[in-house]
Parts: sequence; structure tokens; C-alpha cells
Amino acid sequence: MRTDALIDMLAQGAGPAPHAVAARRLAPAICLSLFMSSALALLMIGPLPSAMFTTPAPWIKLAYSLTLAVAAAVLTARLSRPVARLAAPRTAVVAVLVAMGLVGGASLWATPADERAAAVLGLTWFLCPWMVMAVALPALAATLWAVRGLAPTHLRGAGFAAGLLAGALGAVGYSLACPEASAAFVAVWYTAGIGLTALIGAALGPRVLRW
Amino acid sequence: MTLGYTLASRPRLHSPQKRMQPICNQNTPADEMTDDTNPNDFESGLKPLWLRAQSGDDAAYREALRRIATRLRGYLRRRMLNLPDEVEDLVQESLLAVHLQRGTYDPTLPVSAWVIAIARHKLVDLWRRRGRREALHDVLDDVDEHALVAHQQDGQASRDLDKLLQDLPSVQRQAILLTKVEGLSIAEAAAQTGASESAIKVQVHRGLKRLAALVKG
Repeated sequence: MRTDALIDMLAQGAGPAPHAVAARRLAPAICLSLFMSSALALLMIGPLPSAMFTTPAPWIKLAYSLTLAVAAAVLTARLSRPVARLAAPRTAVVAVLVAMGLVGGASLWATPADERAAAVLGLTWFLCPWMVMAVALPALAATLWAVRGLAPTHLRGAGFAAGLLAGALGAVGYSLACPEASAAFVAVWYTAGIGLTALIGAALGPRVLRW
Repeated sequence: MTLGYTLASRPRLHSPQKRMQPICNQNTPADEMTDDTNPNDFESGLKPLWLRAQSGDDAAYREALRRIATRLRGYLRRRMLNLPDEVEDLVQESLLAVHLQRGTYDPTLPVSAWVIAIARHKLVDLWRRRGRREALHDVLDDVDEHALVAHQQDGQASRDLDKLLQDLPSVQRQAILLTKVEGLSIAEAAAQTGASESAIKVQVHRGLKRLAALVKG
């Protein structure tokens, strides 16, 4: 095949380039992920008693995981392109993590010293990271699928970002079922679950994101 | 109708005069060396063409792809000194990737960086498929530039477009032949086949994706 013939064929009737390809591919994956992680959390654990939603605890979790999801979504969209500008979304991800750390630290500082260990560990610390990761697994499949259809060239980084996004979306779902009340708990164990999912994404990236 | 005849004659694609324009004549050794020694000139020439192509100017797109092909040929040849017969295959694979992923181009970044990132990805993928990871550490950036210009600019890959198209599902092949080879508009192709315009577009896109997978082998 002559390359000129291929070029003629590609250019013939090519029309304008498609717009916003990353958003159009990530948006449905994110919606599906939110639905699946919420459904999984509610099915596996059951919804929180509605009285809990009059306390700040579930709202802190939702605010944390949703803002992290937004930052991770931008990072994922950037890493889905062959050449990426990463500084802004990377800073945003770190800022959300640091902010949650500060909120957790402040809540701990306000807690009497002999109750601090209980506040950090809660009743479910051994379960929480694994549950966040488990409800994030369908989300991870969805975000990796979305990125795979784009053009990532740093496959490990793109896998990590897709995992971070999936982990944050899983945490949104898990927030609807998690009975813990302390911000320090969220800062440690939610972050651990999201980080686990990101590491799985990074491990899978080089294999599943090839194109 | 055989595709070979259609491609060889290419009656609707462009006139012979157009091919004689100096702007299209990028396949000379001197031009390639200019591209290689002046990447900024390359970018400043390509960028306006590319932006016009992105907004739907097919002639600008064709010319941009020609320049990109020349650029990639030089880039890949230098890195595939031990696989010279496969350079053109990879140029074509990269061009297909450039076309299929043109929506991921960010106008704030240089076109050349975007294109080279795609070609590099394809090159790393080729090495991985060959089980030659060590080749990654063997990139010959400091090769004598004069060694490059001696090569023939044949632009001929080992695979045959006709045969590749025969391997596509018939709906995809028909959509590509009508719109991309015979040069019908989407609306004309839709009228001729009875499919909707969006169906034709989808089949063309899927067909090119399948073609890219076939080129990869």
C-alpha cells in the first residue's frame, strides 16, 4: 500500500475533527460508575438510617469523594491524550487530599486525647478500604474502558488516574452505606481505599490501555 | 470493480496538476533534512494547516498528513535502523492512529509533539510485540544525519490496501469504498446504500479502526 494512497483515503471526506472526545467518552463511564458503586454499596451493606443524613458525617464523605472525583476526572482526561498538560489537575488532586487531611487532623485535634484512637479507627477500619475498593471495581472497568478508547501514551500514569477516578466514585457510593462518623476516619481509610484502587489501575494500565 | 483499479486511477481525489505543486512535494531528501534540522519551521508550517484541517478543510488535512508522513518517516527510520523494511508499515499505522485520534489534539500544544508522541507510542508497541524491550535503551538519536538522506523515499508498505479492505466486514468496506475511495459525500453514500448518514459515518469510523488493527498485524 502506498502511503500517499492511504493519506488520500483518510483525507477524503474527512470533515471536521470530533469535539470533546475525552468528555464524551468519560461522562457516560462516570455516570455508570456512580450508579454501579452506589447500587453495590446499598445492596451489600444497606442504606444508612436517614437520621445519619442530618449529621455532617455522610456529607463530609460525599464532598471529599466528589471533589476528588472531579479532580481525578480532569487528570484522567488529560492523560488520555498523547501529550498532556498535567500540572493543574495534579495540583488539584493533591490539594483535595491535603484539604481532607487537614479537616481530619482538625477534627482529631478537637477530640479529647483518649478518644482519638477510637475516632481514627472507628468500628470498621479493617473493612473500609477493602469495601471502597470492592465497590469501585466496576467503576474501574468503566473508566479503563473509557481511557482505552482515547489515546493515552503514559499507560501506567493513565491507569493510575483512571483508578483514582474509579476509587473516588466508589467512595461516593460507599458514603451512602458507611456508618462511620469521624472526619479523621474518612481522611485515613477512604483515602487508603481510593489509593488501593489507583494502584490496581496503575498495575493494569500498561496491559489493558494499549491501543 | 476492483479496488486496485480505483486506487490507481483515483479520478475524484485530486487533479494531476495539484500533485505537481511544490507545496505537496515533500518527498525529496533535501526537504526531509530541512524538517529534521529545523523542527520549528516544520511546526510553524504545519500548525495553520492542521488547524484548518481540524475545522473541516480536507485539502489542508491531506497536505498536513503528507507533511506528517514525511516527518514520521524520518523519525521512525532513525529509530528502526535494524528494521528498515517495517518503517513504512509503522508510518501508515501511525497515520491511521493520527486520523482516528485527531479529536484528542489540544490546540494549545504543538502538532509535531502530539504526532511524535503517537508515533513513539506505536514504536514502543512494535518493540513490545517483538519482545524487544531492550531496544528501548538503544534509541539512536545521535546517528549521522547524512545517513538518512541516502534512503529511497518509496513510501510503499508491505501490506496491500486492497487485501486489507477485503478483510473488513462488507458494510464497513462498502462505506469506506464509497466515501473514501470513490469520493461520494456522506449524503450520496447514504442515498446509494439506503443506510442513514449517521450509520455511514459510524461504519467508516469502525472500518478505519478495524483497518488500523489489521495494519498492526
